[in-house]
Amino acid sequence: MTASATLAPYVEFARKAFSREATYRVDVFAEIGSLVVRVYLLRALWTALYAQNAAPSDLPLHAMITYATVALLMSLVLEVDGTRQIRDKVREGTIAIDLMRPISVPLSFFSDGFGRTLFHALVIVPSLLCALLLVRIDVPSLPTLALFAVAFAQGYVVNFLLNFLMNSVAFWTLETFAIQLMIRWVSDLLSGQIIPLSFFPGALGGAVGLLPFAAIYSTPLRIYVGQVAPSEIAPLLLGQTAWIVVFTLACALVWRVASRRIVLQGG
Amino acid sequence: MNDGPAMPLIETGALRKVFRAVKRTPGAFGALRTLFTREFVERVAVEDVNLAIDAGELIGYIGPNGAGKSTTIKMLTGILVPTSGTIRVAGLVPWQARTKNARNIGVVFGQRSQLYWDLPLVESFELLRAIYNVPPDRYRENLAAFTELLEMKDFLATPVRQLSLGQRMRGDFAAAMLHDPPIVYLDEPTIGLDVVAKAAIRTFIAEINRERGTTFILTTHDLADVERLCRRIVLIDHGRVVYDGPTQRIKEQYGTHRTLIVTLCEGHATFEVQGAEVVARDGSTVRLRFDRATISADQLIRRVADANCITDVAIEEPDLESIIRRIYLEGYRDPAVLAPVVPAAT
Repeated sequence: MTASATLAPYVEFARKAFSREATYRVDVFAEIGSLVVRVYLLRALWTALYAQNAAPSDLPLHAMITYATVALLMSLVLEVDGTRQIRDKVREGTIAIDLMRPISVPLSFFSDGFGRTLFHALVIVPSLLCALLLVRIDVPSLPTLALFAVAFAQGYVVNFLLNFLMNSVAFWTLETFAIQLMIRWVSDLLSGQIIPLSFFPGALGGAVGLLPFAAIYSTPLRIYVGQVAPSEIAPLLLGQTAWIVVFTLACALVWRVASRRIVLQGG
Repeated sequence: MNDGPAMPLIETGALRKVFRAVKRTPGAFGALRTLFTREFVERVAVEDVNLAIDAGELIGYIGPNGAGKSTTIKMLTGILVPTSGTIRVAGLVPWQARTKNARNIGVVFGQRSQLYWDLPLVESFELLRAIYNVPPDRYRENLAAFTELLEMKDFLATPVRQLSLGQRMRGDFAAAMLHDPPIVYLDEPTIGLDVVAKAAIRTFIAEINRERGTTFILTTHDLADVERLCRRIVLIDHGRVVYDGPTQRIKEQYGTHRTLIVTLCEGHATFEVQGAEVVARDGSTVRLRFDRATISADQLIRRVADANCITDVAIEEPDLESIIRRIYLEGYRDPAVLAPVVPAAT
């Protein structure tokens, strides 16, 4: 079979996911509205915090507001969890139908999630315009933006793979909500989405930077706000790539075991 | 696909599946305990299933709840790995070649849909076209043929979530057949449907089987489906095949009793006849149950007519449902009574 025929199903999965997402138009406006409010609140919060404390030298207030705003915009894409359907499908037993198709099921989840992501990525544009009415954010040089895009893309993949692993727990316990909530809190904190990892004290900051969560938000954001020396960028990006390799292998292994021990609900 | 007349399309040998489940201890501490010490309970779902199904057959695979029907089907589709035994479907071992096997099969589940909930019906078909890499011409032909056969024209553009159950099932049938699978598994395909929709689905299955030579394995509790469609029945109970043969034969062998319905002239109060048993009486209508092996209908009618004034008689054959109900309740009879299990005559 040709490569285009092999890829065709996955392109179609992404397209269908995109149009499915587009059916819920009200959600989009709610999403933008909620984002604008959060941008405003974050600006107020960080301005107050900076007024009370000495500003760190590598992250002045305007950089911090940029960091928080860009993190919010990134979350529009990163919080689309394309793998949550693993949990739902295992619980409802419809995973059986996916397994009866001549496709790679994990890859179908990825392309489905990617299609939905693309839709939400479109929402970023109006969200950004609205956000700019409230805050001023720094725009780095074009090469830095390009590096940020690479880091963001890699972070996206790390995020997908981590979510995939978490949702695959459903094959064993069926109920994964509590585990997910816990991991989500930890990950929000340790990924640098809420506060920059450079705010963690000394050794803790170093340790947190080594965790895979940092690859999701912290790495692209630090590149964006210029917290990273040019010489450090390559190792950071390679670090992300390493996580992608490790987690891809882990996902492949988990999926192999999971699909063999499948418990099909509802006869 | 089929390597010759001697090679069945689907073949299983001593197929067995044992499920291992964690034994749960009741109570909060019990739940905590199961986290650390795990005791397993083994449940045999399929004990010993031997099947040989030829291309173009339309088989009714029936049995009571929990008999192992769905487990067998899941092994045939390749999503469950057998504990032991052999399976070959169109020359492939399904669980080893899951995706290759998937190209040869279509599936319809009455209880869960393979269509995309939020999208118009036709978009689910397009997705399936991409998944199975159906050539554009073939896709157009099939879509046109199924749209007509299943009368789907009016709701092709409707989101699946807005379809009625009958419409959705018709969509599911078309979805299962778009890639011309040589084998189709149907799991309770008419559950919850009204009589008109049921009839439409049955006609569709019979037509596809006749015209395209598609092999169907029909799992259902609706024995009217089986009676109308299947020339061969495989009956499974407690994970074992207890009957495998023509539908007609199980009716002949198992359903040896008949009911004679007699309408008496006015004024006949008491009624008794040798060789038959009165099972119901409603005014002048009497229902007599008799065994064809001990008394012929001809003899019985003569006996009744000799002693009574009758205005009408009718004989009722047992339907498949009452036969199967008896087998479920009583278990299967001595193989001497029920002829030995042999693969269907070719």
